[in-house]
Amino acid sequence: MAASAAKRRKLEHVSSDDEDEASFASFGSEEEEQDAAENGIVGYGVDGEASEREGSDGSMDGDDQDGEDENEHEEETRPSAGRTAARDLKNTTGTSNGIASGSRPTSSGAYATGTFKSSLFKLQVDELLEQMRPRHGKRENEAEAALHKIKQTIDKLPDKDPLSVTGAEKDLRKTHGVAIPFPSPRPPKDAKYKLAYAKPAGVNVAGSHPLKLASRGKSLEIDMVVSMPSTLFQDKDYLNHRYFYKRAYYLACLASGLKSVHQEDIHVRYENFGADPLKPVLVAESKRGRNEATAKARWRVNIIPCITEDTFSLEKLLPSKNCVRDQTAATNGAASKELPTPPTPFYNSSLRAEMLAMPYLKLLNTASKTCDAFRDTCLLGGTWLRQRGIASDLHAGGFGSFEWSTLVALLLQGGGPGGRSLLSDRYSSYQLLKATLQVLAVRDLSKQPLIAGPEGTLPGHPDSDLPVVWDAVRSHNMLYKMSPWSYKKLREEARTTLKMLNDPNYDGFEAAFVQRVDNALYQYDHVAELADSTTLELSSKHADDAQQSCRRLYSVLLQGLGDRIRRIDIIPHSAESWALDNSTPGSTTSRKLRIGFAINPDTVNRTVDHGPSAEHKGQAAAFRKFWGDKAELRRFKDGTISETVVWNAGESVLEQIVRYLLRWHFGGPAADGLTFAGDGLKKKLPHGSTAASFSPIQDAFKQFEADVRGLDGLPLTIRQLSPADAQLRSAANDVPMRTRRPKPANVVLQFEGSARWPDDLIAIQRTKVAFLLKLSDLISGSLTSATPRIGLENEGNDMLNQAFLDVIYDSGAAFRIRIHHDREQTLLERMLKDKTVEPSAKDTAAVGLAMYKRDYIKAPAHTQAFAGLCSRYPALSGTIRLLKQWFDSHLLFNHIPEEIIELIAARTFVQPWPWQAPSSVQAGFYRTLNWLTRWDWRNDPLIVDFSEGGDLKQAERQSIATKFEAWRKLDPALNRVVLFAASNVDAEGTTWTDGRPSKVVAGRMSALAKAARAEIEERQLQLEPASLFLSPLSDFDFVLHLDPELAGKKRKSSSKQAAFKNLEIDHVDDEVMVGFDPMSGFTNELGRLYGSAILFFSGGNERAAIAGLWNPQTSSRPWTLHLSYSTTPLKSADKEKAQAEVNRDAILAEIACLGGDMVRRVEVNRH
Amino acid sequence: MVPMPKSRPPSQVLDFTVLPLHRPALPSYPLKRTHYLYIRSNAPRIPTEDTPREIFVKNVPIDATETHFKALFADNLGGARIENVDFEDARVAKGIRAPAAQGKKRKRGADDEDAKPEEVGQLPKTWDREVHRSGSTAVIRCVDRPSAEMALREARKAVKTGREIVWGEGVEGKVPLLGKERYAAHHKLRYPDQAVLQSSVDRFMEAFSAQEEEKARLLASQRAEPDEDGFITVTRGGRTGPAREEETKGKEEEFKKREKNRVKDDFYRFQVREKKKEKAKDLVRGFEEDRRKVEEMRRRRGKVRPE
Repeated sequence: MAASAAKRRKLEHVSSDDEDEASFASFGSEEEEQDAAENGIVGYGVDGEASEREGSDGSMDGDDQDGEDENEHEEETRPSAGRTAARDLKNTTGTSNGIASGSRPTSSGAYATGTFKSSLFKLQVDELLEQMRPRHGKRENEAEAALHKIKQTIDKLPDKDPLSVTGAEKDLRKTHGVAIPFPSPRPPKDAKYKLAYAKPAGVNVAGSHPLKLASRGKSLEIDMVVSMPSTLFQDKDYLNHRYFYKRAYYLACLASGLKSVHQEDIHVRYENFGADPLKPVLVAESKRGRNEATAKARWRVNIIPCITEDTFSLEKLLPSKNCVRDQTAATNGAASKELPTPPTPFYNSSLRAEMLAMPYLKLLNTASKTCDAFRDTCLLGGTWLRQRGIASDLHAGGFGSFEWSTLVALLLQGGGPGGRSLLSDRYSSYQLLKATLQVLAVRDLSKQPLIAGPEGTLPGHPDSDLPVVWDAVRSHNMLYKMSPWSYKKLREEARTTLKMLNDPNYDGFEAAFVQRVDNALYQYDHVAELADSTTLELSSKHADDAQQSCRRLYSVLLQGLGDRIRRIDIIPHSAESWALDNSTPGSTTSRKLRIGFAINPDTVNRTVDHGPSAEHKGQAAAFRKFWGDKAELRRFKDGTISETVVWNAGESVLEQIVRYLLRWHFGGPAADGLTFAGDGLKKKLPHGSTAASFSPIQDAFKQFEADVRGLDGLPLTIRQLSPADAQLRSAANDVPMRTRRPKPANVVLQFEGSARWPDDLIAIQRTKVAFLLKLSDLISGSLTSATPRIGLENEGNDMLNQAFLDVIYDSGAAFRIRIHHDREQTLLERMLKDKTVEPSAKDTAAVGLAMYKRDYIKAPAHTQAFAGLCSRYPALSGTIRLLKQWFDSHLLFNHIPEEIIELIAARTFVQPWPWQAPSSVQAGFYRTLNWLTRWDWRNDPLIVDFSEGGDLKQAERQSIATKFEAWRKLDPALNRVVLFAASNVDAEGTTWTDGRPSKVVAGRMSALAKAARAEIEERQLQLEPASLFLSPLSDFDFVLHLDPELAGKKRKSSSKQAAFKNLEIDHVDDEVMVGFDPMSGFTNELGRLYGSAILFFSGGNERAAIAGLWNPQTSSRPWTLHLSYSTTPLKSADKEKAQAEVNRDAILAEIACLGGDMVRRVEVNRH
Repeated sequence: MVPMPKSRPPSQVLDFTVLPLHRPALPSYPLKRTHYLYIRSNAPRIPTEDTPREIFVKNVPIDATETHFKALFADNLGGARIENVDFEDARVAKGIRAPAAQGKKRKRGADDEDAKPEEVGQLPKTWDREVHRSGSTAVIRCVDRPSAEMALREARKAVKTGREIVWGEGVEGKVPLLGKERYAAHHKLRYPDQAVLQSSVDRFMEAFSAQEEEKARLLASQRAEPDEDGFITVTRGGRTGPAREEETKGKEEEFKKREKNRVKDDFYRFQVREKKKEKAKDLVRGFEEDRRKVEEMRRRRGKVRPE
């Protein structure tokens, strides 16, 4: 049955593919008459491709289904059978082109075995590929029609006689208004060579389009390669840009021809190919397409001149050779002989690449014939690169989908030890992708060049920090366009992705292929922007080009920042196309330059840099030269005298260094144009962003623990005193002991077990009070620096904890002890199970049990885990605090529990994919907001593993997921549990979120995060961080503006108010007022009184406002005794069925009355 | 701001009289607002002897106190005198009812009215003034039946004549303040004097242990004596400690585990085979699951497309 199904599918595939191919082939066959014949070129190998597609698709579909319902025995044999069959087929068919190589190995095995990360991953990849595979549609037809027209025009262009440089320029400008896009430096006026045009030796379609390696995207790009006849060139033309001048003229001739013929329908412009200033090309776009607002029908054709492989001598263009002679030196004559000429690897390779367009097309074609998964790998790799902002263009890294495909193709043929291939044809696309990433990640190609090809020898390699993948067959460095920083970036991205894919607990699909990773604010810990990159170029003594100035900037920053940073990335402005009447892009384009820093959080804030000792004269001089006035000779405690650089501790050291280095090495204008993004966030954390600001309270806690344990005469010995408060896990917004009025930090005290506890819940609570009384007596008797006070809580609910003990130290530290007695849990559980207990008491027991678990078990564990995390990730504490401020300023203070906020922030660090864990608060904060927008809390639980070693095993994750699903089944309307957040210390997932936030609030959280993300992504570096913390109060039905003094304890108080505050606090006894918080008392009470009619939103300490939304269910409805809000009776015809609606005015008046002078103003936005 | 409803609200809803109460303007909310109090004679399902002199009130203002109602009745409803007011939600918020001691069976809740006077060991109150849930009810007990009837009559009259009744008139200075002061007072009351607390806890524990003894004696006697039908009740206590239950459970589990481990599950060939089969089934199930997941994802998010 399966076989017949497969067959049927096969037939369908053949027919559909045939149509596709036929239309394309018809174009190719006439286009390519002679080439296709001799090379078997491939974009056009119709039959082979069709049959291959058919074979693979058919077998895959068929086997998927088989695998599901057949037993394991067959599953095992099938793939291997498939494999041998494939091998046989390959052997018999040999290497002849155009013949398909059997079925794919990715049969059912792909889902179950290791060829993919997981079946879920595989299914998602399949679906993605389905979306990305190129399709032949209207746009493609249109573009191909245009291709035909362009080709015909080019074929008809007449030859031109050789002209001098100036003559040629004048001629073209006069007759067609077209400038020649000479690369810089321009050819000398007195150049002896002539420029000429002759009919091209061939016009071909190359690049990813004919090979179907490009993903179906928003824009369709087709590369058209025009081979310039070798008669135009002389042997020495490779020298001193001469080839490029001739090429530019040739291009200008093509441009003028196209311009005159296709004035109506095609728009032609110049563009630097891959942003390489040596190689302008023509970009042809449909005029109609351009005008349309929808980007859908857009396509473009790049017309690229090139030459045949044998035009210039291979040896002359090796990377170690010099091909641009110094003109000034040449005129000096004799002097030049002594100076070794520096090699010009980029120029050489760029020229060499011109000769290799067709050979590479051939290579890619062979690869896609012999390796079934090659095409998919290219699509996946291209997407992977694109999402990371890495592309073929020079400024975007110089490693795009063409380089990716070529690298994979090369590795399929060689690159391994002994010239064997590194990759196998039989790999699945996922395996190919991973193996290629592995090559990029593991091997430092700048130190250990990769040599692909049978000979395997590398000619001298001049520049040690540039990566090399040497294609020995074609004698070319594949990575010639990469800069040291872009190579580092590529490596790091590859490493990160590999790590992510190897994480068994994370489905990396979305992070690898769907999510955009390249936003600078997410990607780097700090980002700086230079307003005008030309200031760098101008500062140099020699006229540097943009590329050289970037390299100089990179090396200066690298040396100056040393181990403070892990990586620097430089992103120049992107290139743009320009009109035909200009020879250069002109100055209209933006010249902004971005510098991204990935920092090393441990060292970035070091204020003193030690240089060489004064005894080493040479080194010291170099140091002084590098640092200028900043270097000073210092004598240290241990007697050494050394050169030193000292930075101001108050400000960001990184910023100081970068600014100083720019000023010293590149001059004032460059330094003045520098801005650091995200400065505003620093102001939000006035006490510093790291956990260090919490060390006083940590020390105080240690002292406190010692004090309590040292008490004599306690009736039971202490088993444990565990911290259970945000202040004690470096996550509180009020940095303790810095604010004037301390908030007691919760602490859980557990005594050793004893049989003398009563076996009754209420009596247990009273016994706890007795213990606290005893403790209080002992503390006031033995500690002079601390004051104990017993406070009551949960009034009226005597099964719950009744009292706590506040211990307030003179230093300002305050702790609140609650006693943990483990018998409570058993008693509560027994009550829940007991059938004779009435339901209301059971409810209380359930509440009590939840509270017990939360306060005595989860909170201490959570605190302990976070204390560890905060020391592991220095930026975590700041991120949590910023995030809390963010939630509070959007009035979600009373809805989102702080533990949940902490979990959300921690996720960014322990599961940082697709980035590495952030090292700066701003990156952590922005990424967390980004993730919040992606979190589909209806369908996904949040699971965070705090432990370093991955304590949370697959089985546990599974059980958490099962719990989540059970909750969703139990409560599909999300009335009780909306957010589900579990961790390795809390497998329940509902500890913090049972009952709050509600669905409405969670929706608002997502909406706010989306707005913030849109702001971040739209404004990028111009982002004003304060704007993320603002949301209009007009969204709410009414707003209570509170006395700002109640909330703004620490901020925004002018000095005058502060002075007043001092007086106030002085006259109220400080200790008595510890823990006094009328704000939260008011908020909680409002929730209790009006919970069924109004949803309140409180701003906590961030915003002195409480806003409210009326429950829509409070509108007019029948009057009953059960309406749980104040109502207005409504007149109605039927007396028996009286109607009533909520009495909004009276309720607001009541609230105003309840709040008294705390409420400054009640603002009603709508009724 | 929306203007006050132009049409006057009905004077009667079901059998309730709708009594409009005006709330004076506040600086933070400078308009006069009307609150509607629904009032009728009390008619509980099971009447008591007090029922005739009781008035049932719905929609109690959140800040209402006994003083408020006394003033309202005295000044505006014919001077009816109130004995006390029972607020609906006061039970939750009002004090703690510790169990009574001396031989009586301990009660759980506050329902046993007769045990009230014996209560000891309450913890100190932490609020000087309770507030009530919006829309809650209260039962007002007047001194006698005529005054209750008069109050209701007066209320109806007041509604008819449209006389303006201001809520909270005449209580100024007699009730604790609201606003920040109330929270400050709460903060103060929350930290009671330790001597008071100590004596309260002591009295509670004393009563509790007395009661425990009583309970033990009762159980012992139940164990010893047959009841009227001649059966001996099986009760907790005696020689069996309270921890026994959990212990037996633990033992049971241990036993089950041992049983399970007696024959290892890869001993027989069929076991191995079945295990393998199970694994294969799991794989298939997992695959199905994944497929469903992807399908659902597609349904939710549309097609997978790079951003």
